[in-house]
Amino acid sequence: MSNMELVKMIDLSRCTACRGCQVACKQWNELPASKTKNWGSYQNPADLEWNTWTLIRFQEYVDAKGRFKWLFRKDGCMHCTDAACVKVCPTQALYHTEFGTVAFDPERCIGCKDCIPACPFNIPRFNEQTKKIGKCDLCLSRLRANKPPACVLSCPTGALSIGPKAEMIEKAYKRAKALGEGASVYGDKFVGGTHVIYVLPEPVSAYPGLPENPSVPLPIILWKDVLKPASVIAGGGVLAAAFLHYILHGPKRPVEDTQEGGSEI
Amino acid sequence: MKTQGAQIVTVTNGFERLVHWSLALSCIVLFLTGLAMMFHTLNALSMLTGGMYNLKQIHNYSGIVFAVSLFIAIPMWWAEAGRFEEGDRQWISALGGYIGHSKHVPEAGKYNAGQKLFFLAVVVFGLCMVVSGTVMWLQAKFDLSLVRWMYALHALGFTVIFAFFFVHLYLATIGVPGSASAMLTGKTTYAWLKTNHGKWLKELEKTGLIKTNTKK
Repeated sequence: MSNMELVKMIDLSRCTACRGCQVACKQWNELPASKTKNWGSYQNPADLEWNTWTLIRFQEYVDAKGRFKWLFRKDGCMHCTDAACVKVCPTQALYHTEFGTVAFDPERCIGCKDCIPACPFNIPRFNEQTKKIGKCDLCLSRLRANKPPACVLSCPTGALSIGPKAEMIEKAYKRAKALGEGASVYGDKFVGGTHVIYVLPEPVSAYPGLPENPSVPLPIILWKDVLKPASVIAGGGVLAAAFLHYILHGPKRPVEDTQEGGSEI
Repeated sequence: MKTQGAQIVTVTNGFERLVHWSLALSCIVLFLTGLAMMFHTLNALSMLTGGMYNLKQIHNYSGIVFAVSLFIAIPMWWAEAGRFEEGDRQWISALGGYIGHSKHVPEAGKYNAGQKLFFLAVVVFGLCMVVSGTVMWLQAKFDLSLVRWMYALHALGFTVIFAFFFVHLYLATIGVPGSASAMLTGKTTYAWLKTNHGKWLKELEKTGLIKTNTKK
Protein backbone atom coordinates (compact mmCIF):
# COMPACT_ATOMS: atom_id res chain seq x y z
CA MET A 1 0.00 0.00 0.00
CA SER A 2 2.92 2.36 0.52
CA ASN A 3 3.64 5.29 -1.79
CA MET A 4 0.55 5.10 -3.89
CA GLU A 5 -2.57 7.21 -4.01
CA LEU A 6 -5.10 5.62 -1.70
CA VAL A 7 -8.83 6.04 -1.48
CA LYS A 8 -11.05 5.07 1.42
CA MET A 9 -14.52 4.05 0.33
CA ILE A 10 -17.51 4.49 2.62
CA ASP A 11 -20.40 2.36 1.42
CA LEU A 12 -23.29 3.88 3.37
CA SER A 13 -25.63 1.10 2.22
CA ARG A 14 -23.64 -1.25 4.44
CA CYS A 15 -23.31 1.02 7.48
CA THR A 16 -25.28 -0.13 10.52
CA ALA A 17 -24.21 2.83 12.66
CA CYS A 18 -22.46 0.61 15.19
CA ARG A 19 -19.97 3.44 15.62
CA GLY A 20 -17.07 1.05 16.01
CA CYS A 21 -15.12 3.37 13.71
CA GLN A 22 -15.70 6.29 16.07
CA VAL A 23 -14.29 4.32 19.00
CA ALA A 24 -11.40 2.82 17.02
CA CYS A 25 -10.45 6.31 15.81
CA LYS A 26 -10.30 7.63 19.37
CA GLN A 27 -8.34 4.63 20.51
CA TRP A 28 -5.64 4.72 17.83
CA ASN A 29 -5.29 8.49 17.85
CA GLU A 30 -5.44 8.70 21.67
CA LEU A 31 -8.32 11.16 21.62
CA PRO A 32 -10.22 11.59 24.88
CA ALA A 33 -13.98 11.12 25.00
CA SER A 34 -16.18 14.15 25.62
CA LYS A 35 -18.79 14.26 28.32
CA THR A 36 -22.05 14.51 26.38
CA LYS A 37 -25.74 14.86 27.15
CA ASN A 38 -28.57 12.96 25.51
CA TRP A 39 -29.99 15.35 22.96
CA GLY A 40 -32.50 12.95 21.53
CA SER A 41 -30.34 11.24 18.98
CA TYR A 42 -27.95 8.32 18.77
CA GLN A 43 -25.59 10.79 17.10
CA ASN A 44 -23.10 11.24 19.89
CA PRO A 45 -21.33 13.60 20.26
CA ALA A 46 -23.66 15.90 18.37
CA ASP A 47 -20.95 17.16 16.03
CA LEU A 48 -17.33 16.65 15.06
CA GLU A 49 -14.92 17.93 17.70
CA TRP A 50 -11.16 18.51 17.96
CA ASN A 51 -11.13 15.08 19.63
CA THR A 52 -13.80 13.47 17.45
CA TRP A 53 -12.38 13.14 13.95
CA THR A 54 -15.10 10.86 12.66
CA LEU A 55 -18.77 10.77 13.58
CA ILE A 56 -21.77 8.74 12.47
CA ARG A 57 -24.55 11.19 11.63
CA PHE A 58 -28.11 9.90 12.05
CA GLN A 59 -30.85 11.20 9.79
CA GLU A 60 -34.50 10.36 9.49
CA TYR A 61 -35.54 10.61 5.87
CA VAL A 62 -38.62 10.06 3.71
CA ASP A 63 -37.66 9.18 0.15
CA ALA A 64 -39.41 10.16 -3.10
CA LYS A 65 -41.77 7.19 -2.81
CA GLY A 66 -42.81 8.12 0.71
CA ARG A 67 -40.78 5.38 2.37
CA PHE A 68 -39.35 6.21 5.77
CA LYS A 69 -35.62 5.59 6.11
CA TRP A 70 -33.01 5.94 8.80
CA LEU A 71 -29.80 7.16 7.18
CA PHE A 72 -26.34 6.89 8.65
CA ARG A 73 -23.35 8.84 7.37
CA LYS A 74 -19.79 8.57 8.58
CA ASP A 75 -18.59 12.17 8.58
CA GLY A 76 -14.94 13.20 8.59
CA CYS A 77 -12.15 14.64 6.48
CA MET A 78 -12.57 13.91 2.76
CA HIS A 79 -8.83 14.28 2.04
CA CYS A 80 -9.21 16.52 -1.02
CA THR A 81 -6.65 16.61 -3.80
CA ASP A 82 -7.26 20.34 -4.21
CA ALA A 83 -7.47 20.87 -0.48
CA ALA A 84 -8.49 24.39 0.60
CA CYS A 85 -7.08 23.79 4.09
CA VAL A 86 -3.64 23.00 2.69
CA LYS A 87 -3.90 26.04 0.44
CA VAL A 88 -4.55 28.44 3.32
CA CYS A 89 -2.44 26.91 6.11
CA PRO A 90 0.34 29.45 6.77
CA THR A 91 2.72 26.98 8.39
CA GLN A 92 2.25 23.80 6.36
CA ALA A 93 0.78 22.14 9.44
CA LEU A 94 -1.75 20.74 6.97
CA TYR A 95 0.00 18.98 4.12
CA HIS A 96 -0.41 16.35 1.44
CA THR A 97 1.14 12.97 2.10
CA GLU A 98 2.63 10.43 -0.28
CA PHE A 99 -0.79 8.75 -0.26
CA GLY A 100 -2.58 11.87 -1.49
CA THR A 101 -4.24 12.26 1.91
CA VAL A 102 -4.17 15.46 3.98
CA ALA A 103 -2.23 15.02 7.20
CA PHE A 104 -1.84 17.38 10.13
CA ASP A 105 1.25 18.25 12.14
CA PRO A 106 0.15 19.70 15.50
CA GLU A 107 3.70 20.92 16.19
CA ARG A 108 3.38 23.38 13.31
CA CYS A 109 -0.22 24.48 13.96
CA ILE A 110 -0.48 28.06 15.29
CA GLY A 111 -4.22 28.05 15.83
CA CYS A 112 -4.93 30.72 13.23
CA LYS A 113 -8.15 28.92 12.24
CA ASP A 114 -7.72 29.86 8.56
CA CYS A 115 -8.52 26.24 7.62
CA ILE A 116 -11.89 26.26 9.37
CA PRO A 117 -13.83 28.55 7.01
CA ALA A 118 -11.74 27.41 4.03
CA CYS A 119 -12.90 23.77 4.24
CA PRO A 120 -15.87 23.08 1.95
CA PHE A 121 -16.85 20.11 4.17
CA ASN A 122 -16.75 21.90 7.54
CA ILE A 123 -14.23 19.49 9.04
CA PRO A 124 -11.43 21.14 11.11
CA ARG A 125 -12.29 21.82 14.73
CA PHE A 126 -10.45 24.09 17.18
CA ASN A 127 -9.18 23.03 20.59
CA GLU A 128 -9.46 26.01 22.94
CA GLN A 129 -7.01 24.44 25.41
CA THR A 130 -4.14 23.60 23.06
CA LYS A 131 -5.00 26.40 20.57
CA LYS A 132 -4.66 23.91 17.74
CA ILE A 133 -7.06 22.35 15.31
CA GLY A 134 -7.87 18.66 15.06
CA LYS A 135 -8.96 16.52 12.13
CA CYS A 136 -8.60 13.04 10.65
CA ASP A 137 -5.23 12.23 9.05
CA LEU A 138 -6.51 8.90 7.74
CA CYS A 139 -4.19 7.23 10.29
CA LEU A 140 -1.01 8.29 8.53
CA SER A 141 1.10 6.33 11.01
CA ARG A 142 -0.84 3.17 10.13
CA LEU A 143 -0.74 3.77 6.37
CA ARG A 144 3.04 4.14 6.60
CA ALA A 145 3.17 0.81 8.43
CA ASN A 146 1.17 -0.72 5.59
CA LYS A 147 -1.93 -1.09 7.74
CA PRO A 148 -5.48 0.12 7.13
CA PRO A 149 -6.78 3.11 9.11
CA ALA A 150 -8.27 2.20 12.50
CA CYS A 151 -11.83 2.93 11.30
CA VAL A 152 -11.46 0.59 8.32
CA LEU A 153 -10.00 -2.17 10.50
CA SER A 154 -12.84 -1.87 13.00
CA CYS A 155 -15.72 -1.90 10.51
CA PRO A 156 -17.66 -5.19 10.93
CA THR A 157 -19.91 -4.87 7.86
CA GLY A 158 -17.49 -3.98 5.10
CA ALA A 159 -18.88 -0.46 4.78
CA LEU A 160 -15.33 0.82 5.02
CA SER A 161 -12.48 -0.27 2.77
CA ILE A 162 -9.26 1.24 1.49
CA GLY A 163 -7.06 0.59 -1.51
CA PRO A 164 -5.44 2.03 -4.64
CA LYS A 165 -7.40 4.97 -6.05
CA ALA A 166 -8.44 3.57 -9.43
CA GLU A 167 -9.41 0.24 -7.92
CA MET A 168 -11.56 1.83 -5.22
CA ILE A 169 -13.34 4.20 -7.61
CA GLU A 170 -14.15 1.26 -9.88
CA LYS A 171 -15.40 -0.70 -6.90
CA ALA A 172 -17.56 2.23 -5.78
CA TYR A 173 -19.21 2.60 -9.18
CA LYS A 174 -19.85 -1.11 -9.35
CA ARG A 175 -21.47 -1.01 -5.94
CA ALA A 176 -23.60 2.05 -6.82
CA LYS A 177 -24.75 0.29 -9.98
CA ALA A 178 -25.65 -2.80 -8.01
CA LEU A 179 -27.65 -0.69 -5.56
CA GLY A 180 -29.43 0.99 -8.46
CA GLU A 181 -32.36 3.36 -7.91
CA GLY A 182 -30.75 6.74 -7.15
CA ALA A 183 -27.52 5.41 -5.63
CA SER A 184 -24.41 7.41 -6.52
CA VAL A 185 -20.69 7.76 -5.97
CA TYR A 186 -19.67 10.95 -4.17
CA GLY A 187 -16.17 12.42 -4.09
CA ASP A 188 -14.20 11.48 -7.19
CA LYS A 189 -15.59 14.32 -9.32
CA PHE A 190 -14.77 17.46 -7.30
CA VAL A 191 -11.91 19.27 -5.53
CA GLY A 192 -9.55 17.30 -7.73
CA GLY A 193 -11.01 14.06 -6.40
CA THR A 194 -11.27 13.29 -2.71
CA HIS A 195 -9.39 10.43 -1.10
CA VAL A 196 -12.50 9.46 0.82
CA ILE A 197 -15.45 8.57 -1.39
CA TYR A 198 -18.99 7.67 -0.50
CA VAL A 199 -21.39 5.24 -2.07
CA LEU A 200 -24.67 7.01 -1.32
CA PRO A 201 -27.81 4.90 -1.50
CA GLU A 202 -29.92 8.10 -1.41
CA PRO A 203 -29.56 11.44 -3.23
CA VAL A 204 -26.87 13.79 -1.89
CA SER A 205 -29.56 16.19 -0.65
CA ALA A 206 -30.80 13.51 1.77
CA TYR A 207 -27.60 13.87 3.82
CA PRO A 208 -27.46 17.12 5.81
CA GLY A 209 -24.05 18.77 5.81
CA LEU A 210 -22.96 17.06 2.62
CA PRO A 211 -22.55 19.77 -0.04
CA GLU A 212 -24.02 19.00 -3.48
CA ASN A 213 -21.10 20.45 -5.38
CA PRO A 214 -18.20 21.20 -3.04
CA SER A 215 -15.33 23.36 -4.25
CA VAL A 216 -12.54 25.51 -2.90
CA PRO A 217 -14.52 28.65 -1.92
CA LEU A 218 -14.20 31.52 -4.43
CA PRO A 219 -12.84 34.04 -1.89
CA ILE A 220 -10.11 31.54 -0.99
CA ILE A 221 -9.14 31.26 -4.67
CA LEU A 222 -9.16 35.07 -5.00
CA TRP A 223 -7.00 35.34 -1.92
CA LYS A 224 -4.40 32.69 -2.68
CA ASP A 225 -4.33 32.52 -6.49
CA VAL A 226 -5.07 36.12 -7.47
CA LEU A 227 -4.40 38.66 -4.72
CA LYS A 228 -1.35 36.95 -3.23
CA PRO A 229 0.67 37.11 -6.48
CA ALA A 230 -0.91 40.52 -7.28
CA SER A 231 0.37 41.98 -4.02
CA VAL A 232 3.94 40.97 -4.82
CA ILE A 233 3.66 42.32 -8.36
CA ALA A 234 2.14 45.59 -7.10
CA GLY A 235 4.68 46.12 -4.32
CA GLY A 236 7.61 45.03 -6.44
CA GLY A 237 6.37 47.08 -9.38
CA VAL A 238 6.19 50.24 -7.30
CA LEU A 239 9.69 49.63 -5.91
CA ALA A 240 11.05 49.12 -9.42
CA ALA A 241 9.22 52.21 -10.68
CA ALA A 242 10.59 54.29 -7.79
CA PHE A 243 14.12 53.13 -8.55
CA LEU A 244 13.74 53.94 -12.24
CA HIS A 245 12.25 57.33 -11.34
CA TYR A 246 15.23 58.10 -9.16
CA ILE A 247 17.89 57.17 -11.71
CA LEU A 248 16.14 58.44 -14.86
CA HIS A 249 13.98 61.39 -13.79
CA GLY A 250 15.77 62.26 -10.61
CA PRO A 251 14.44 63.36 -7.24
CA LYS A 252 12.47 66.55 -6.80
CA ARG A 253 14.84 68.80 -4.91
CA PRO A 254 13.72 72.06 -3.32
CA VAL A 255 14.53 75.10 -5.39
CA GLU A 256 16.84 77.09 -3.14
CA ASP A 257 15.49 80.60 -2.96
CA THR A 258 18.67 82.39 -2.07
CA GLN A 259 18.22 85.42 -4.34
CA GLU A 260 15.20 86.84 -2.53
CA GLY A 261 16.47 86.13 0.89
CA GLY A 262 19.84 87.77 0.41
CA SER A 263 23.19 86.13 0.43
CA GLU A 264 24.38 86.67 3.98
CA ILE A 265 24.77 83.58 6.10
CA MET B 1 21.38 85.07 9.80
CA LYS B 2 20.35 82.23 7.55
CA THR B 3 19.03 82.72 4.06
CA GLN B 4 15.32 82.54 3.58
CA GLY B 5 15.75 79.26 1.69
CA ALA B 6 17.25 77.71 4.73
CA GLN B 7 14.66 79.18 7.07
CA ILE B 8 13.07 76.49 9.16
CA VAL B 9 9.31 76.10 9.25
CA THR B 10 7.43 73.77 11.60
CA VAL B 11 4.87 71.79 9.58
CA THR B 12 3.70 69.02 11.93
CA ASN B 13 3.12 68.93 15.68
CA GLY B 14 4.34 66.27 18.04
CA PHE B 15 1.01 64.53 18.32
CA GLU B 16 0.71 64.22 14.55
CA ARG B 17 4.15 62.67 14.39
CA LEU B 18 3.31 60.26 17.20
CA VAL B 19 0.13 59.10 15.43
CA HIS B 20 1.96 58.89 12.10
CA TRP B 21 4.67 56.64 13.50
CA SER B 22 2.30 54.55 15.51
CA LEU B 23 0.37 53.90 12.30
CA ALA B 24 3.52 53.42 10.21
CA LEU B 25 5.38 51.11 12.57
CA SER B 26 2.35 48.97 13.36
CA CYS B 27 1.75 48.78 9.61
CA ILE B 28 5.33 47.61 8.97
CA VAL B 29 5.07 44.98 11.72
CA LEU B 30 1.77 43.85 10.18
CA PHE B 31 3.40 43.68 6.73
CA LEU B 32 6.31 41.58 7.96
CA THR B 33 4.27 39.21 10.08
CA GLY B 34 1.55 39.01 7.43
CA LEU B 35 4.07 38.22 4.70
CA ALA B 36 5.60 35.58 6.97
CA MET B 37 2.20 33.87 7.13
CA MET B 38 1.39 34.41 3.46
CA PHE B 39 4.58 32.86 2.09
CA HIS B 40 5.91 29.61 3.50
CA THR B 41 9.47 30.63 2.62
CA LEU B 42 9.04 33.71 4.82
CA ASN B 43 8.07 31.49 7.79
CA ALA B 44 11.79 31.94 8.44
CA LEU B 45 11.03 35.43 9.84
CA SER B 46 9.50 33.65 12.83
CA MET B 47 13.01 32.94 14.10
CA LEU B 48 12.86 36.54 15.34
CA THR B 49 9.66 35.96 17.28
CA GLY B 50 10.27 32.53 18.73
CA GLY B 51 8.00 30.68 16.37
CA MET B 52 4.98 31.17 14.18
CA TYR B 53 2.51 31.14 17.08
CA ASN B 54 4.10 34.24 18.58
CA LEU B 55 4.37 35.82 15.15
CA LYS B 56 0.64 35.35 14.70
CA GLN B 57 -0.07 36.90 18.12
CA ILE B 58 2.16 39.87 17.25
CA HIS B 59 0.20 40.27 14.00
CA ASN B 60 -3.14 40.29 15.83
CA TYR B 61 -2.14 42.73 18.56
CA SER B 62 -0.28 45.04 16.17
CA GLY B 63 -3.60 45.12 14.37
CA ILE B 64 -5.15 46.68 17.47
CA VAL B 65 -2.40 49.33 17.59
CA PHE B 66 -2.99 49.99 13.88
CA ALA B 67 -6.75 50.27 14.38
CA VAL B 68 -6.47 52.70 17.30
CA SER B 69 -3.92 54.81 15.40
CA LEU B 70 -6.17 54.83 12.36
CA PHE B 71 -9.20 55.91 14.38
CA ILE B 72 -7.17 58.85 15.73
CA ALA B 73 -5.61 59.66 12.36
CA ILE B 74 -8.85 59.85 10.37
CA PRO B 75 -10.50 62.77 12.22
CA MET B 76 -7.12 64.42 12.80
CA TRP B 77 -6.17 64.66 9.13
CA TRP B 78 -9.59 64.52 7.46
CA ALA B 79 -10.09 68.27 7.05
CA GLU B 80 -6.66 68.77 5.52
CA ALA B 81 -6.10 65.54 3.58
CA GLY B 82 -9.51 63.95 3.18
CA ARG B 83 -11.12 66.53 0.94
CA PHE B 84 -10.15 67.51 -2.58
CA GLU B 85 -10.07 71.15 -3.58
CA GLU B 86 -9.49 73.36 -6.57
CA GLY B 87 -6.35 72.43 -8.42
CA ASP B 88 -6.27 68.82 -7.21
CA ARG B 89 -7.74 67.54 -10.47
CA GLN B 90 -5.05 69.32 -12.50
CA TRP B 91 -2.41 68.11 -10.07
CA ILE B 92 -3.47 64.51 -10.68
CA SER B 93 -3.69 64.88 -14.46
CA ALA B 94 -0.17 66.34 -14.43
CA LEU B 95 0.84 63.37 -12.18
CA GLY B 96 2.19 65.95 -9.77
CA GLY B 97 5.01 66.63 -12.20
CA TYR B 98 6.73 63.45 -11.01
CA ILE B 99 6.41 61.68 -14.32
CA GLY B 100 7.22 63.63 -17.44
CA HIS B 101 8.19 67.22 -16.89
CA SER B 102 4.81 68.88 -16.90
CA LYS B 103 5.13 72.60 -16.25
CA HIS B 104 1.46 72.99 -15.48
CA VAL B 105 1.46 71.52 -12.02
CA PRO B 106 -0.68 73.67 -9.75
CA GLU B 107 0.89 74.61 -6.45
CA ALA B 108 -0.20 72.25 -3.71
CA GLY B 109 -1.83 73.10 -0.42
CA LYS B 110 -0.75 71.50 2.87
CA TYR B 111 -1.28 68.13 1.23
CA ASN B 112 -1.03 67.61 -2.50
CA ALA B 113 -3.61 65.51 -4.35
CA GLY B 114 -1.31 62.49 -4.35
CA GLN B 115 -0.92 62.65 -0.60
CA LYS B 116 -4.69 62.96 -0.30
CA LEU B 117 -5.16 59.87 -2.46
CA PHE B 118 -2.72 58.00 -0.24
CA PHE B 119 -4.51 59.19 2.89
CA LEU B 120 -7.89 58.12 1.50
CA ALA B 121 -6.48 54.74 0.44
CA VAL B 122 -5.17 54.22 3.97
CA VAL B 123 -8.54 55.27 5.41
CA VAL B 124 -10.67 53.08 3.14
CA PHE B 125 -8.45 50.02 2.95
CA GLY B 126 -7.15 50.45 6.50
CA LEU B 127 -10.75 50.25 7.70
CA CYS B 128 -11.21 47.20 5.45
CA MET B 129 -8.22 45.61 7.17
CA VAL B 130 -9.54 46.40 10.64
CA VAL B 131 -13.01 45.05 9.86
CA SER B 132 -11.84 41.94 8.01
CA GLY B 133 -9.11 41.24 10.54
CA THR B 134 -11.60 41.45 13.40
CA VAL B 135 -13.99 39.04 11.67
CA MET B 136 -11.14 36.62 10.92
CA TRP B 137 -9.94 36.80 14.52
CA LEU B 138 -13.42 36.26 16.03
CA GLN B 139 -14.68 34.10 13.16
CA ALA B 140 -16.82 31.73 15.24
CA LYS B 141 -19.21 34.63 15.91
CA PHE B 142 -19.86 35.34 12.23
CA ASP B 143 -21.58 33.78 9.25
CA LEU B 144 -19.37 31.34 7.32
CA SER B 145 -19.60 32.98 3.91
CA LEU B 146 -18.95 36.42 5.44
CA VAL B 147 -15.81 35.05 7.12
CA ARG B 148 -14.61 33.61 3.80
CA TRP B 149 -15.07 36.94 2.00
CA MET B 150 -13.25 38.76 4.78
CA TYR B 151 -10.13 36.73 3.95
CA ALA B 152 -10.34 37.94 0.35
CA LEU B 153 -10.94 41.52 1.51
CA HIS B 154 -7.93 41.30 3.84
CA ALA B 155 -5.78 40.22 0.90
CA LEU B 156 -7.18 43.02 -1.29
CA GLY B 157 -6.54 45.66 1.39
CA PHE B 158 -3.00 44.38 1.79
CA THR B 159 -2.35 44.54 -1.94
CA VAL B 160 -3.47 48.19 -2.15
CA ILE B 161 -1.76 49.40 1.04
CA PHE B 162 1.44 47.49 0.25
CA ALA B 163 1.75 49.18 -3.16
CA PHE B 164 0.88 52.66 -1.79
CA PHE B 165 3.33 52.12 1.07
CA PHE B 166 6.31 52.03 -1.29
CA VAL B 167 5.09 55.09 -3.18
CA HIS B 168 4.86 56.93 0.13
CA LEU B 169 8.22 55.64 1.32
CA TYR B 170 9.99 56.74 -1.85
CA LEU B 171 8.39 60.19 -2.15
CA ALA B 172 8.83 60.93 1.55
CA THR B 173 12.53 60.11 1.51
CA ILE B 174 14.91 60.08 -1.44
CA GLY B 175 12.26 60.93 -4.05
CA VAL B 176 11.62 64.37 -2.58
CA PRO B 177 14.65 65.25 -0.47
CA GLY B 178 13.86 67.31 2.59
CA SER B 179 10.47 65.64 3.19
CA ALA B 180 11.36 63.12 5.86
CA SER B 181 12.22 65.77 8.44
CA ALA B 182 8.57 66.89 8.37
CA MET B 183 7.69 63.65 10.16
CA LEU B 184 10.91 63.29 12.16
CA THR B 185 11.55 66.70 13.69
CA GLY B 186 8.43 68.33 12.30
CA LYS B 187 10.49 70.95 10.50
CA THR B 188 11.17 71.64 6.85
CA THR B 189 13.01 74.38 5.07
CA TYR B 190 11.27 77.36 3.58
CA ALA B 191 12.63 76.35 0.16
CA TRP B 192 11.21 72.83 0.48
CA LEU B 193 7.84 74.26 1.44
CA LYS B 194 7.87 76.73 -1.45
CA THR B 195 8.78 73.99 -3.92
CA ASN B 196 6.34 71.38 -2.72
CA HIS B 197 3.47 73.16 -0.99
CA GLY B 198 3.51 76.65 -2.48
CA LYS B 199 -0.17 77.32 -2.04
CA TRP B 200 -0.09 76.42 1.62
CA LEU B 201 2.98 78.59 2.16
CA LYS B 202 1.13 81.57 0.67
CA GLU B 203 -1.81 80.91 3.00
CA LEU B 204 0.53 80.75 5.98
CA GLU B 205 2.18 83.99 4.95
CA LYS B 206 -1.15 85.68 4.39
CA THR B 207 -2.40 84.72 7.83
CA GLY B 208 0.89 85.75 9.33
CA LEU B 209 1.73 82.33 10.64
CA ILE B 210 5.02 82.51 8.80
CA LYS B 211 7.00 85.70 8.68
CA THR B 212 9.17 86.00 5.65
CA ASN B 213 12.33 87.96 6.02
CA THR B 214 12.54 89.29 2.51
CA LYS B 215 12.37 92.86 3.79
CA LYS B 216 14.62 93.39 6.69
